[in-house]
Amino acid sequence: MKKWAEVALGVVTSIGGFLEVGSIATSAQGGAEFGYQLAWVLVLGTTSLAILMEMTGRLAAVSQRSYADLLRERFGYRFFLLPLVAVFVVSLLVVISEIGGVSIALQLATGIDFRWWAIPTALVGWFLLWRGNFTIVEQGTAMLGLVAISFAVGALKLHPVWPTLGRALLPSLPSHDRARYWYLAVSILGASISPYLYLFYSAGALEDEWTIEHLGVNRVTAGMGNVFGGVLAIASLVTAALVFAPRGIKVDRYEQIALVLATPLGRAGLVFFIMTLFVTCFGSTLEIVLAIAYLLAQGLGWNWSENLKPGKDARFATSYTVLILLASLPIAIGMDPLTLTNISMVATAASLPVTVIPLSVLMNDGDLLNTHVNGWPSNLALVVIALLSVVLLVAAIPLQLLGGG
Amino acid sequence: MGAVHLSHDVIDSQLVDRHQEKIGRIDELLLELEEGKPPRVATIVIGGVARARRVGRWMLACHRAVHALLGHREEYESRIPFEAVRRIADTIELDVEGDTLPSMRLDRWLATHIVCRIPGGSGERK
Repeated sequence: MKKWAEVALGVVTSIGGFLEVGSIATSAQGGAEFGYQLAWVLVLGTTSLAILMEMTGRLAAVSQRSYADLLRERFGYRFFLLPLVAVFVVSLLVVISEIGGVSIALQLATGIDFRWWAIPTALVGWFLLWRGNFTIVEQGTAMLGLVAISFAVGALKLHPVWPTLGRALLPSLPSHDRARYWYLAVSILGASISPYLYLFYSAGALEDEWTIEHLGVNRVTAGMGNVFGGVLAIASLVTAALVFAPRGIKVDRYEQIALVLATPLGRAGLVFFIMTLFVTCFGSTLEIVLAIAYLLAQGLGWNWSENLKPGKDARFATSYTVLILLASLPIAIGMDPLTLTNISMVATAASLPVTVIPLSVLMNDGDLLNTHVNGWPSNLALVVIALLSVVLLVAAIPLQLLGGG
Repeated sequence: MGAVHLSHDVIDSQLVDRHQEKIGRIDELLLELEEGKPPRVATIVIGGVARARRVGRWMLACHRAVHALLGHREEYESRIPFEAVRRIADTIELDVEGDTLPSMRLDRWLATHIVCRIPGGSGERK
C-alpha cells in the first residue's frame, strides 16, 4: 500500500516538475506559429526524458550512487569539468527564466512590474530550501503543480480537431519558415529534456533512500509521470494553436500567453494561468538550484543533503543560497524573461551530449548495475537520444541565428 | 578484493573520515621515490590546486590568481599519508578527523561564521 502511495506521489511529482516556464513558453510559441504541427517534438522530447529518467533512477537505486558522483569518479576530473560547466551555465540560465516566470505571474496578479518580484521570489525560495527538507520541496511543489491540469481542461474546451492532432504526433516538414520551425523544435526539445531534471531525479532517489526494491516505482514514475507531463505540454501547444494561430498572433511576451486559458475559460482561465505559471516556475526554481548544488557537492565530494541542517553541509547550503540570489538579479534589472527563456532552452538542447553520452557507458557497467544493466532495446534508445543530442548541439547556434528572431 | 586499480577504484573516489562524513575526493595521488626502494603510493592530495594541476597550467594559473586576489595566505590543500586508508569500497574511508583538514577550512569557516549564524542553520536533521 505504501509502495502505491509512493508511485502516486512520484507520478504527481513528475507532472508538477514537467510543465514549467520553458515548456509553457516554447509550446505556446510553437502552437501560435505552426498550429499542431510541432506536437511530435513534444512526443519525442517526453519519451527521451522518460528514458533518461528511468536510467538515472535505476542507476541510483541499484548502485546507491548519484549520476554526478559517477560522472566524476568514472570519467575523472578533467572530463567531469565539461558536464559540470555546461550544466552549471545552462541550468543557471534556466533558473533565471523560472524566476522570470514567477515574477511575470506576480505582475499579472498584482499589476506591479515584474522586476520588483525577482528578489522577493529568491528570498522566499531560499527560505524554503533552508528550513524545509527534501520531502517538502519535492511533494509540496508537486501537489500545487497539479493546477497545471487547467491547461488540459482549456484545450478540451476549445474542441481540438482530433484527427489533425493525431497526425501531428508524427513528424512532418513545415510548408513555411523552415528555420523558425526547426528553431522552435530545438527550443521545445531543450525545454523537455533538461539535464537538471535527471540530475535532480538521480539525487532525489538517494534522498528518498531508494533501493533495488524501488525499480518498479522508478519505472512507473519515469513512464507515467512523463506521459501526464507530455499531455499537459501538448495541451499548452493545442490551446495556443487554437487561440493564437487563427488570429495570426505571434507570441513575443509572457502576458500574451495568459490568453490561451482566458479564451476558453474566461476570468477563471486567467487565474488558473497565473497560478500555473507561478507554481510550476517556483517549483522548478527550487529544483534547479538544488540540482546545481547537488552537482557541485557530489562532483567535488562535499557533504550534501536537503535533509541535513545547513551547518552540516555548509558548502552545499552556501551554493544554493548564492545561486538563487544570483539568479534573481538579471530579472531584477529588467532582462526580458521570454527572450531569456528562449535562449536558455536552445542552450539546454546544445548541452545534452555531455550528460547523455557518458550515461551509455555507466548503464552498461556490471560493477555498478549487476543484472540491471541496459538490455539492447534500452541501449538502442540511448544511442538514438545521444545522436539526437549531437544533432541538437550542432544545429543550436545556427538555428538561434536564423530562426531566433 | 584482489587488485585495486588506482585510476578506476582510487583516483577521484569519494573520501569519508572516521565519522563517515564526506571530506572531498582523491584529487591527486603521489608516488614516493626513494633510493634503493621500489616506488610506492604515499600520499593522497585533496584540494583545488591539485585539481587545477590536473587540468593544465592555465587552470593552475587561474586558480593561483583567484587565491592571490582573495589574499589567501594559508594552505587549502590536504596531504594525507596513504597509510590512513582504512577501507576501499564505493567510498574510501580515511582514519582522519575531517574538521582538522586544510581542505575543509572553507567548509568550517562557512559553517561557523555564516551558516550557523543564520536561524535554522545549526542542528542535525531537518
